[in-house]
Amino acid sequence: MGILRVDELRKSYGAVRAVDGMSFDVERGELFGFLGPNGAGKTTTIRSLTGQIVPDGGTISVLGTDPTTAPLETRRRVGILPEQASPPSFLTPREYLEFVGDVRELDEAAVTAGIEHWAERLGFASKLETLHTDLSRGQQQKVMIAQAFIHEPDVVLIDEPLANLDPLVQEQVKQFLTAYAADDNAIFVSTHNIDVAADICTRVGIVADGRIVTERSLVDETGDSLLETFLEHVDDANARDMPALERTEIEA
Amino acid sequence: MSGEQTGQDEPQTGQLERVTDIGGGIDSGGVDSGRVGGIGNGTNRLLFTTLLREEWRLHTRLFGGWRFASFPLLIVLLAAAATVALLETGTAPSTIVLGLHALALGFGLYSGTAGFAGSNMLENVFGRLSLVLSSASTLPLSRRRLLGMFLVKDALFYAVVFVLPMATAAIPIGGLSATTPTELVAFWLSLSLVFAAGMTATVALIAVRTRGVPTWTIALALVSAAAGTWALDGPAAIESVRTLVVPLSGSLSAAGGLAIGTVLVAAASLALYDPTYGRPTRTASDRFSQLRAAGDRLPFADDPLVVKTLLDLSRSAGGVWKPFVSAGILLALVAALVGVVREITGIEPAPGIFFGGVLGLAAFTTYNWLTQFDSLEFYLTYPVAIDDVFRAKRAAFVLVGTPAVAVPYLAAVIRFDATLVDAAVGAILLAGYGLYYYGLTVSIAGFDPNEFLFDSVRFGTFTVGVAVAIVPTLVAGFVVVPPTPALAAALAVAGIGFGALGIVLSGRAGPKWAERYRDE
Repeated sequence: MGILRVDELRKSYGAVRAVDGMSFDVERGELFGFLGPNGAGKTTTIRSLTGQIVPDGGTISVLGTDPTTAPLETRRRVGILPEQASPPSFLTPREYLEFVGDVRELDEAAVTAGIEHWAERLGFASKLETLHTDLSRGQQQKVMIAQAFIHEPDVVLIDEPLANLDPLVQEQVKQFLTAYAADDNAIFVSTHNIDVAADICTRVGIVADGRIVTERSLVDETGDSLLETFLEHVDDANARDMPALERTEIEA
Repeated sequence: MSGEQTGQDEPQTGQLERVTDIGGGIDSGGVDSGRVGGIGNGTNRLLFTTLLREEWRLHTRLFGGWRFASFPLLIVLLAAAATVALLETGTAPSTIVLGLHALALGFGLYSGTAGFAGSNMLENVFGRLSLVLSSASTLPLSRRRLLGMFLVKDALFYAVVFVLPMATAAIPIGGLSATTPTELVAFWLSLSLVFAAGMTATVALIAVRTRGVPTWTIALALVSAAAGTWALDGPAAIESVRTLVVPLSGSLSAAGGLAIGTVLVAAASLALYDPTYGRPTRTASDRFSQLRAAGDRLPFADDPLVVKTLLDLSRSAGGVWKPFVSAGILLALVAALVGVVREITGIEPAPGIFFGGVLGLAAFTTYNWLTQFDSLEFYLTYPVAIDDVFRAKRAAFVLVGTPAVAVPYLAAVIRFDATLVDAAVGAILLAGYGLYYYGLTVSIAGFDPNEFLFDSVRFGTFTVGVAVAIVPTLVAGFVVVPPTPALAAALAVAGIGFGALGIVLSGRAGPKWAERYRDE
């Protein structure tokens, strides 16, 4: 049984079924890609997994906790990087990470060391005393990545991990995520970026219309590219609001 | 783009690409398409109607169609009911007219900030938004031009949605007759003019700020203006304020002068406004850990949520003084009103009871400042209970709100020579009603007190909740001067009772809003 387990998850917003029978497992050591087009139900699933919203049905287990009934316990044990989240405008990165350590009840010395470590690793050491409102989106994203990992959680849930990062930092973050998952942790990455998923994930679940339409391991696999698999399963009647695709032969 | 157009050298087969011709494509000329020599009046009209439509949809989307659509009707009812009640209790019509103009002026001063607030603040207030106002970054439209249109749209929109319903108070004041429509229109124009002047004043201050004038200079000017109003005494000074704030009571030329002055200042402000203005990068020493380390000495500092709230407040524009300025403006408006009432009727209220009851309303603006740069969604990714977030806001409210209202209250009771009993009862009312208004705000609006505006259900509930406490108190404050021991005791009990109710209301807000957010 996975340390992150979802079974028949359902959530509607009025008449719109955002998540409709979602089921999957994630094991330790995996970097699981949750790959789907916009509006497929990815963010709603993450919000359900972290107890931010109450699903209409189905069961969820995250490290043995139920985020629906015990959201604080789940959030205490995982790291979360929401989509397009910004750190508080009027705190500095140092103060924000201290705040995060505080609400997570971490040891003060460990937090101090963690701040230096993450600032160095992600390249915002020179910005530790600058208010977030005066940092670029990329710098803010680095701080958000640091806050998700500062307590070294066993499970991290990330929505679009590489947004706004420059290519060099993207590469560093990719390497870090791969290594972190391999160290007996699990990372759940929600993305619509096929290249990112192909680069870093050990397994992907392709999402369309609120459910997983197929899963595929990316470890030592050959055959169709992930793009082919994605289009095969998404570019049909299951996908809503997707522009049509055509296969084109390009000649010299 | 087709495969043949990619210009690739090697033959490729099976490559997939998206057909991106959606709805016939986008006019490459954008809003300026087909116009020679820049942006013309047609674009102005298009921009104006687009902004107007956006404003309407923003409000109907936020509050639900009928809750917003019925808001003007609610204002009509409130304006009419309050006017009738005030007339019945012997208030002079000219006092009511002045009060309504003061309200329009205050609302105008507040509305002037909207176009300049910036997307971050608007997101905090309204959620994730993308406004037409931001299209200066993607379209060949200058930000100055967009702001100008935005402010004109705001002035007209609110003049109809908010000021026109207020103007119906003219009906109970003048009585129904053949001239009622004319009186109504004149009253509306008078209120709209003051509203526009208020908006323009704020816009001018912001424009000046973008030219590098230090905030403290602007604050000093504001405080001086408030102090000037405060120090007004004597019929001549009062009359000059009335002429300025109530165009209806002055000559046509005075009103015309105010109108022309408003237009000129607005135009000059837009010309002065520097759209490229940006603050220099700001750094800060580690206040968070310093405050947390002082947790054994400072009662609030043992809670990281309180410390974060205080840092948000102190580092956002205007700093920790914002609640003080809001309370100071309220004090100046009420003091001017008291002065006018005294000049007109010869009646002066018991200052402790009167100012204690009214200044408690600053609880709303203080709470607004404490949540302005924060959102409940932020906390949902941490092991933090929503209940604890609301508890922290209440602690911060007490810390910041107490001095913010205590200072103006003390100034008022000294300036108006309150008796000891009156001042003591007023202090109890101030504390109790402040807590009550706070609890009412949190209970009705949760983390978004700004959403009161234009939601007829919430606004109506809040208004009734406030009226239940404040109306009998103000009547007592005017009728029994100085207060008798029995009245003083009754009001003190009321203050304590409402304070307790406020604590209960704010205590229940956490679970209530936590459930609402998670069950969305």
